[in-house]
Amino acid sequence: MSRFFRGGDDSSTESSSDEEELYSGSEEEEEEKKDQDVDDSSSDDDEPEAAADSGSDSDGDAKKKGVNRFLADADSDSSSGDDSDNETQAKVKSAKDKRFDELEATVTAIQNGQKINDWGSISNELDKLNRQVIKQIDGGKAPKLYIKCIADLEDFMNETLAKQKVTPKKMNATNARGLNVVKQRIKKNNKDFQAQIDAYRKDSDDFMESDEEEVPAPKVAKVRFQDLTAEQGQDDDEGFATVGKGGRTLLFTPESIFKHLRTIMESRGKKNTDRLEQIKIMEKLYEVAVTPYQKIRVLMTLVSARFDLGSGAATSMPLEHWKAAEKELATLLRVLETEKDHIVIENAEEWDDDEKPPTLEDGAKYIRIPGSVVSYIERLDDELTRSLQSIDPHTSEYIERLTDEGSLYNIIFQGLLYYEMLRKDASLEVPQESLNRIIQRRLDHVYFKPSQVVKILEENCWKEVPSNVDSEITPRDPSHDAGHLLNVLCNYLFENSDGIIRARAMLCQIYFLALHDQYYQARDMMLTSHLQENIANFDITTQILYNRTLVQVGLCAFRKGLVYDAQNTLQEICGSGRQKELLAQGVMIQRFNQVSPEQERLEKQRQLPFHMHINLELLECVYLTCSMLLEIPLLAQTGSSPDVKKRVISKTYRRMLEYHERQIFTGPPENTRDHVMQASKALAAGEWKKATTFVHSIKIWELMPNTEDIKTMLAKQIQEEGLRTYLFTYAPFYDTLSIASLSTMFELDTRKVSAVVSKMISHEELAAALDQVTETVIFRKGVELSRLQSLALTLSDKASALIETNERTLEHRTQGSANAFNRKDGRGGNRGGGQRGGRGGARTGGNPQRQAGGTQFTGGALGAAVRG
Amino acid sequence: MVDAQRDVPVKSALVEALVVMKIVKHCSASFPTTATGSIVGMDNNGVLEVTNSFPFPTVEVANTDSHSHSNNQQNDASSLAAAAPRSKANITYQNEMIKHLKEVNVDANNVGWYTSATMGNFINLSFIENQYHYQKDNDKTVALVHDVSRSSQGALSLRAFKLSNDFMAAYKEGKFTTEILQKSKLTFRDIVVEVPLVVHNSHLLTSFLHQIPAPPDNAEIPLPASLDDIRRDPAKIPAHPSFDALDLSIDPFLEKTCDLLLESIESHYTDLNNHQYYQRQLTREQFKITQWQTKRKAENAARVAAKQTPLPEDEWQRLFKLPQEPSRLEGMLNARQVEQYSKQVDGFTANITAKMFAVRGNLLPE
Repeated sequence: MSRFFRGGDDSSTESSSDEEELYSGSEEEEEEKKDQDVDDSSSDDDEPEAAADSGSDSDGDAKKKGVNRFLADADSDSSSGDDSDNETQAKVKSAKDKRFDELEATVTAIQNGQKINDWGSISNELDKLNRQVIKQIDGGKAPKLYIKCIADLEDFMNETLAKQKVTPKKMNATNARGLNVVKQRIKKNNKDFQAQIDAYRKDSDDFMESDEEEVPAPKVAKVRFQDLTAEQGQDDDEGFATVGKGGRTLLFTPESIFKHLRTIMESRGKKNTDRLEQIKIMEKLYEVAVTPYQKIRVLMTLVSARFDLGSGAATSMPLEHWKAAEKELATLLRVLETEKDHIVIENAEEWDDDEKPPTLEDGAKYIRIPGSVVSYIERLDDELTRSLQSIDPHTSEYIERLTDEGSLYNIIFQGLLYYEMLRKDASLEVPQESLNRIIQRRLDHVYFKPSQVVKILEENCWKEVPSNVDSEITPRDPSHDAGHLLNVLCNYLFENSDGIIRARAMLCQIYFLALHDQYYQARDMMLTSHLQENIANFDITTQILYNRTLVQVGLCAFRKGLVYDAQNTLQEICGSGRQKELLAQGVMIQRFNQVSPEQERLEKQRQLPFHMHINLELLECVYLTCSMLLEIPLLAQTGSSPDVKKRVISKTYRRMLEYHERQIFTGPPENTRDHVMQASKALAAGEWKKATTFVHSIKIWELMPNTEDIKTMLAKQIQEEGLRTYLFTYAPFYDTLSIASLSTMFELDTRKVSAVVSKMISHEELAAALDQVTETVIFRKGVELSRLQSLALTLSDKASALIETNERTLEHRTQGSANAFNRKDGRGGNRGGGQRGGRGGARTGGNPQRQAGGTQFTGGALGAAVRG
Repeated sequence: MVDAQRDVPVKSALVEALVVMKIVKHCSASFPTTATGSIVGMDNNGVLEVTNSFPFPTVEVANTDSHSHSNNQQNDASSLAAAAPRSKANITYQNEMIKHLKEVNVDANNVGWYTSATMGNFINLSFIENQYHYQKDNDKTVALVHDVSRSSQGALSLRAFKLSNDFMAAYKEGKFTTEILQKSKLTFRDIVVEVPLVVHNSHLLTSFLHQIPAPPDNAEIPLPASLDDIRRDPAKIPAHPSFDALDLSIDPFLEKTCDLLLESIESHYTDLNNHQYYQRQLTREQFKITQWQTKRKAENAARVAAKQTPLPEDEWQRLFKLPQEPSRLEGMLNARQVEQYSKQVDGFTANITAKMFAVRGNLLPE
């Protein structure tokens, strides 16, 4: 016996004598589980039976095969005999009636309980009653008996409670507990049946006798609808009644769509709701949905329900559901595109009437449906990110998943088009923010990609939309220039947004520029944005984006050969030793401070999917190489007078170098770090060629575009810095040095050598003069500070710093009113603006101390005294 | 008699030449490690007469005892020696030693201890602890500080210090919070008091000194005719005059002082950072407490409105723990140390300027 029964009502005729067949039971079945309400005519074969359905019963029945046919006949016979739902059959008791009897018994038990004031048993019985009645609710209407019972019970309970307050005598424990339970149950329960209860209260007799007049209404609607659309073929397929979870038959007809949607919406967020089941229901519902309104509503609910599947904290949405949601969103957008008079808008009012769909009112241009397309899109995007986060990036699965990004991008694009369309109508008051959000999403998918990839994405998404559609913000551009697209998107956001979105747009654009080797533009934008001053006020994702942008700018500077700028920019991120965390590309193992699971979870959520990562090893390599190029000459410079100043450019690099030097045996370099360290050692010893080989043998340069250019650039830098290092190290041992010999030594152009030497002289790094006639460097002797002098200078520096600290403390204490102690006439200015400018000019500034004490001071204090 | 003596505080210290010699010998022998020892003598009406001394045995660094306070700034041996005066083993040693000294009729009262120092870098926690250890039992004790580096420049540098009474009281309490310091008006200047020190020679020694031969009148000494001649009348070689005081090299001294000053400043910054950390922590904690209090107040208001008994409002004392304020003692000592250095430089330059003028006056050609 199949689980599908031919419905009692297979007639699509107007004869409404048997309205109730919809709900009639199939008497043959004893088990309640199999007792189902059945839909219209069901047939085992899939052929469309338009004629049969529009015709008489017999036509349809004739086609039935085997047992089913007879069963169906029996069914229709028995059901046609039924007059009303509540009537019991004389011979065979339907399961429904059985349940009704049970219900009656329970109600009597409750009434008995009331009589003897036994709340314990009332509470038990009530639970039972509620369980039973669930199966008998017809379209939101509970059996009258039940309504009567709970209404009476509520009255009785209130009475008891009132009594209790007055009498000092306490109830016994079981009773009191029972009463409490009942109180809560009733409160919760009765809300659902409030309308019926009210009706009952108003006129109890009348209520009990009245028939369910409301029921026929949908039936009529259905019939009318079927006539109108003549979609019997489809209905035919739907003739099977699907068995719901609780043995309840679910009915999928266009007119019941809203009812279903409502129940699903109501159960949303509640425990023990089977979401998968609901999704299945809605998938069916969509198939029967006919009007655009229905389609839109079903799609929206369906997409939300799918998102609910992935709402657990750690798990991402199942793949097939994501794909389905993506398709449905696409369909939704397509429907909205074609049905211009239906719009989904955030500020629309909820349509409460389940029975009839809203119609176009006079004068109104649109049917407004509450919902937010942008939220759906954002959610879809987030879910993709989440699933990418959870997939191992080295598997093919990841790549497969990544291909979904293209379709997601299409959806974002279509969403953007949709919002643009909405925006055109000022009367709709579509908030600017939605548009900003969707553009931001689009930007998020574009900014980190090379322009070729963006181009492909763009081409694909334009292919998707019909050729007559054009975007206002991002007009159809045959060249699909990524830079232009980004520029347009960002400019739109600059103009129309503020706060975080604006900052993010800025960062995205800088990132993109840096990625495409436009260093100066990127740097200028970075500086003019003033983001480094207030980035701490933004949320963490923006801060991560800022860090990523910073790193990208640094890498860009490196590719341009601007070692100093690159090091400076990367310092903040790489010098911290927490690159992984700062770029959200991995979670650090926390050793010392305990991290709560909550924090850890948040951190995991923030992680970027792998394809967005900036290669950390490459980053480290660039950073270390830059540090090497700056630090080695500096070390040579300060080497002769170790305690003059402890200017350290990169602490991380210094630490590594120290560690490297402490090793007794150093093997051949294995990783990037080893390579750089050994190169540093060679460079410090003046063996620039060796250093170049070491640096060039680092494998990871291959990941950079234009590897060869980078290598030549590095070789050139190493030559120059090697020369500087050599001069710093060996200057004390020379009186003169010919430029030609330097030039051969470092295989540099003589012009280049003299340029480097002149630069060093002018920066006061080298006490020498350049004799252009003889082409020699002439070193001056005895210009170094004596130890005492340098110490005295350091001391005076420290002392003034201390004074300043004191003043600041005083100022803090007196809340800035202590102008009496105003001593920083000349010093204040150089401190305030020194942060950024100071860094850039550190090299050109040289060391001011040298100037202070460098006035041909020989022989210490005594010498001066003697000379004086 | 006894009471009368008690009342007179130590006004000056009278140090026997013997003690000076012993201290100088011990300290310079163990230089650059710190050397410590005990001094004995008696108090005579406000004048503390130091009549003898003995060094504390140096412990092998290898068998380091757990009781030694490690002072980060010095190496192991130094820190061990610096901690010696208050170590248990040395207290017993000292008592034993004094017992023995009593038997040979030496003054058998402990009147303090001595330590060596380099460029006046002796003011640290260890010094304070040692002096406190002595002074808490007997007020009439001093610490003699022999500065080896400065003595090597000609003038003997031996100074006597004791802890001020105010500081003793504060140290007993062991609390050096800002609040208490403000209340007691204790500043870094009030930690140690210098006691004037007089070197005293016995009459015997004075007369001996007088017998030291002066340089001979005529440059030529007649050669002795025989060995007997030498035995009978040994040549009276005059004491070699010391020209150390005329040393003109100023750089080493100032360099060293600069180094030490920088070191002090560094430790000052460390201290400062600690304190700032504490302050940040404190404000954060206080903010949390105020938050809690306002929340509790609101809750109570709601409860009162609902006719419930209000919750206690002083639970924050249990829930939150304010951070312990770091001791300001280290900072004070540091300040005192810096003052010490500055005074040293001041004194040194006063001295050296005179020398400079002398040099200029004599050496420059007209």
